[in-house]
Amino acid sequence: MARTDQDERRGELPDAASGRRRPRRGRIAAAVGILGELLITAGVIMALFVVYSLWWTNVLADREAKKQGDRVRRQWAQQEGPGRLDTKDGIGFLHVPAMDNGEVLVKKGTSTATLNDGVAGYYTKPVKSAMPWDKKGNVTLAAHRDGHGAKFHNIDKLGKGDAIVFETRDTWYVYKVFAELPETSKYNVGVLSPVPKGSGKKKAGRYITLSTCTPVYTSLHRYIVWGELVRTEKVDADRTPPKELR
Amino acid sequence: MYGWIWRHLPGNAWVRALISLVLVLAIVFVLFQYVFPWAEPLLPFGDVTVDEGMAGPR
Repeated sequence: MARTDQDERRGELPDAASGRRRPRRGRIAAAVGILGELLITAGVIMALFVVYSLWWTNVLADREAKKQGDRVRRQWAQQEGPGRLDTKDGIGFLHVPAMDNGEVLVKKGTSTATLNDGVAGYYTKPVKSAMPWDKKGNVTLAAHRDGHGAKFHNIDKLGKGDAIVFETRDTWYVYKVFAELPETSKYNVGVLSPVPKGSGKKKAGRYITLSTCTPVYTSLHRYIVWGELVRTEKVDADRTPPKELR
Repeated sequence: MYGWIWRHLPGNAWVRALISLVLVLAIVFVLFQYVFPWAEPLLPFGDVTVDEGMAGPR
């Protein structure tokens, strides 16, 4: 007994309440201790992954999107007069005042690599997106709900009648939301049709479709918002935004 | 495990605490820079597009 007490004094601080605790733990106790430490470590790593997903990817993506957006704006400024539009670096910017997220660069394709740069992508498959300047068709876009810029995070804030403005080098395309689908299957590709299925429209027109995942922080379902073109405005020398954005 | 690491770090408590901090930061860096970007596409949190199942982009 005396020996144990001595060991305790030499080792870690003795627990006053349980003076009988032995400083040299048995093999099983040691194994349980290591298991506990591993579990705590796993918990900390998962927490760090959440921090990474919801914060750090946004930092990186916003930085990248700013850089790419600036490049497109510089190109626009350099290209004087009408001419073949260079769309490799992006076709324009999406402004959705109701989402309160500034401008979103729109690029070709909806691959992970593209969308992870904090931009919106237009679909090339399974249904090819129309372009805003096409006479008829459906401009179909996707962007992240969370992480990687989370450009469509506030898609649920959009309601009927809200403006979606697509800015290209020469034109502001002003759309108004007319329908939404708060939850649909991720295999529901009909929403991307030229006349989007489920939107209530029967005739061809100039539509825009925003798609992202829902509920937030998951990829279980898809959230769809449809808009219809109400008017276009020529971009003036100062790039004065249309009244919806002022 | 952590106790073992602590006992094997050199120096007094302050030096050990400093080394521990550096080690923790190094691990966080490796996680953020290499491990999480690798793990993320394997986890079903970032799919935003509608597609036809297997063939579509994630």
